[in-house]
Amino acid sequence: MGYVAVTGGKEAIEASLQHLFYERVKHGKWLSVETIKGTMRGFIDHIMSESSLYSEDLAALAMKQSEGNVEEAVFLLRAHRSTLPRLYYSTITDPRDMFVHRRISASFKEIPGGQILGSSHDYLHRLLDFSLIEETEEDVWQKKLDFEAIEVPEGSSIPLEKLPKVMDYLRAEGLLNDFPVNDEEPDDVTKMSLTFPSSRSERLQILTRGQTGGIVSLGYAGLRGYGSSHPNVGEVRVGEQPIHIQLDGEEEEYYIGSIKLTEVESFIPANVSENGKEVLAFDIGYGACFGQNETKAIAMSILDHALENPEDTPIHDEEFVLLHVDTIESTGFISHLKLPHYVTFQSKLEQMRKIKEESGASVNE
Amino acid sequence: MKRPLRTKLLIEVGHNEAIEMANEIIKNYEVQEIQPPRQGLTMIKLRESAKNSLFYIGEVLVTETKVKIGNSFGTGIVMEENNTLSKALAIIDAAYKEKLPETEKWFYVLKKLELKLQNEMEKVKCSIERTKVHFDTMKV
Repeated sequence: MGYVAVTGGKEAIEASLQHLFYERVKHGKWLSVETIKGTMRGFIDHIMSESSLYSEDLAALAMKQSEGNVEEAVFLLRAHRSTLPRLYYSTITDPRDMFVHRRISASFKEIPGGQILGSSHDYLHRLLDFSLIEETEEDVWQKKLDFEAIEVPEGSSIPLEKLPKVMDYLRAEGLLNDFPVNDEEPDDVTKMSLTFPSSRSERLQILTRGQTGGIVSLGYAGLRGYGSSHPNVGEVRVGEQPIHIQLDGEEEEYYIGSIKLTEVESFIPANVSENGKEVLAFDIGYGACFGQNETKAIAMSILDHALENPEDTPIHDEEFVLLHVDTIESTGFISHLKLPHYVTFQSKLEQMRKIKEESGASVNE
Repeated sequence: MKRPLRTKLLIEVGHNEAIEMANEIIKNYEVQEIQPPRQGLTMIKLRESAKNSLFYIGEVLVTETKVKIGNSFGTGIVMEENNTLSKALAIIDAAYKEKLPETEKWFYVLKKLELKLQNEMEKVKCSIERTKVHFDTMKV
């Protein structure tokens, strides 16, 4: 198909952009990036995960610039990311070293360290709080002080910085389909185009940076009958994950900071071969993403397991899942339909007119 | 004190102390800026627990600075855009490698920071522990 370059929209586009920028300021209201960062935790976690770029500062800026449009904010961050050099790779980061702020299991009631609810919307009535309309900065400070004044027990008793995994329970009973440690360097979908069959590291990388809605919808479809990976959530943990790097030629690692991380391990019954016999054990479906994005991580664990076990349904089909869950690819392709397709459409129109003429002529004959 | 702990203390609870340490060095020695503060990315390699393999979960924004003091190079890396802290960390790193006498008394500063971080973490832990569920069996 040939493309025809046309001009003439420059002034209209400039005026359109003026309108767009005006939309952000027309109410005369102003929101600082610092305020967004301090109050929009959920949004920031959401777009850091989808953009695959961990920076609360840049995520807050993207939110301001995009007027809260998630699709646009992720686009801005992915674009910005592409302008920056990759200076380092972290050393192996293991969520067993996470400073846990929340950890629950839907599989065992009693777990080492206990069910720690941390902070979550799960236990709220979903009723609008109209008092927030009148909330002032003073109110916010008072609420902060009230929380900080709550008496806490003297001395902690749970090792939150090294909390055992719930899956260790199953491992101790020999009920886990266990795998040896594999330190093979992962593939990187930002450096190499995806080809099929994909590697496990490519699948996990695409799922973790996938569009939240897309991942959750496909995970849900998998549960509803389009897949056969039905999990029990073994563990959801959210917390601060320390990150280290190793500088060239230097022995000691370097701590560069910590990131908020969600990790999910789902237990899925599977037949495993043991000493030539088929026995029942549990597979793990794995999900992990930047920020506190629990639903996404659970859905990711369903899809991870489904893609590890190909079957004849869409959710178990790696091409179907992996090629459609990326925010930029899916929103980019759908939104490109708004762009001028004059020639394509004219050619379809001409074809239709011709067919209609021909069929009219044959009727008259 | 090992570097991972030192950098953790300065990044988590010792920004002001890091800048003071760096200023002390700048006052007494020639600090050559090899790489001015610049932003870049660090790709995070994560261990997944289903098959015990590795994958890349995404990148984190960092600021990196490199300096030279005497015959020693120092590197400062910190998350987000923070030129001042990154440069201070680079100077401190080079000072330790060059074994400058100032680093000996920093030990006590770092010990204080260690205690501060422990106290802060303990406070957070105690507060989070309040959210632990204590199950009771209902009597029927």
